[in-house]
Amino acid sequence: MTALIVILLLLSAATGTGVVLSRIPTRQVLALAANGLVLALLFMALQAPDVAFSELAVGTVATPLLFLAVLASIHMVRRTGKPEQE
Amino acid sequence: MSARVRLWVFLLACLCVVPAVIHVARRMPEFGAHPLPYGDAINARATRERHVTNMVSAVNFDYRGIDTLGEEFMLLCAVTGTTVLLRGTRPQPLADRPGQVAGREVRPASDAVVLICRMFGAAILVFGLYIALHAMTTPGGGFQGGVIIASGFMLIYLGEGYRGWRGLMRPELLDAAEGAGATLYAVAGFAAMAAGLPFLTNFLPLGQPKDVFSGGLMLVENVGVALAVAGGFAVLFVEFLKETRTEQNGEDS
Repeated sequence: MTALIVILLLLSAATGTGVVLSRIPTRQVLALAANGLVLALLFMALQAPDVAFSELAVGTVATPLLFLAVLASIHMVRRTGKPEQE
Repeated sequence: MSARVRLWVFLLACLCVVPAVIHVARRMPEFGAHPLPYGDAINARATRERHVTNMVSAVNFDYRGIDTLGEEFMLLCAVTGTTVLLRGTRPQPLADRPGQVAGREVRPASDAVVLICRMFGAAILVFGLYIALHAMTTPGGGFQGGVIIASGFMLIYLGEGYRGWRGLMRPELLDAAEGAGATLYAVAGFAAMAAGLPFLTNFLPLGQPKDVFSGGLMLVENVGVALAVAGGFAVLFVEFLKETRTEQNGEDS
């Protein structure tokens, strides 16, 4: 196990803890994206570039984006339609 | 349950679980060791048998091709279900105007963001195509290429704004890509049956190793996966981002 892998494992533990400890949903989404980025680097260091591509695109772009869209939709001010619960 | 009780329950659970975890962790193989023979067998045989140098593709599309078929249809079902749910709950067509979140103003993207996205958006689309096309020779493949292409679409959204992006994302094209991709994979399997061979048998000429067009039927399946994944993710993005638009008759600003 090289120093690079040790550092990346520690970073993934740190960012994972960050996801759990963030209490504001928007920040939690960004923490999740950071965790995905670290995991992608870890997979790259472990010589699995194809898994790293998937993790980078799905964990760092797609999932956070869908969460952000949902959060924006929940907080949107809607003037018509059914009454919204705040 | 108060915080104190929760802490005690947590500590109690730790007391039960931690010894088991330590017991298992001590018997785990060394870091980086792979005791099972499957990987070595594939590494030794795949290039000779299937004329490809990316063993992951050989496993995904040929040796365990049926698993990828199931995965493809899982993706198709998940995207279809999400789309039906989201489209079904919309009472009227949506406007292009962004919805307003209380206490946050809607700003246009800054010039720097637009510039960076225009520079990298196209480059990432090309990179995604490259990864998808070179599935048989270098790491990557249809799924990876597909999600990278979908990420490129998101950069185009950031750079061009919602309206310009939706002009590019034709729903009929994306739906067709998603469905046609999954269908292409299944048809590749049935084509082998039509030729009198078992389902998903690699019956096409295998080509030269290290060539982009090596691998025979795997190439067709790979195109199917790339289409389905890029289309599926793009459909998801379109449907989710539609949710952030205002409803048409509710505008008064």
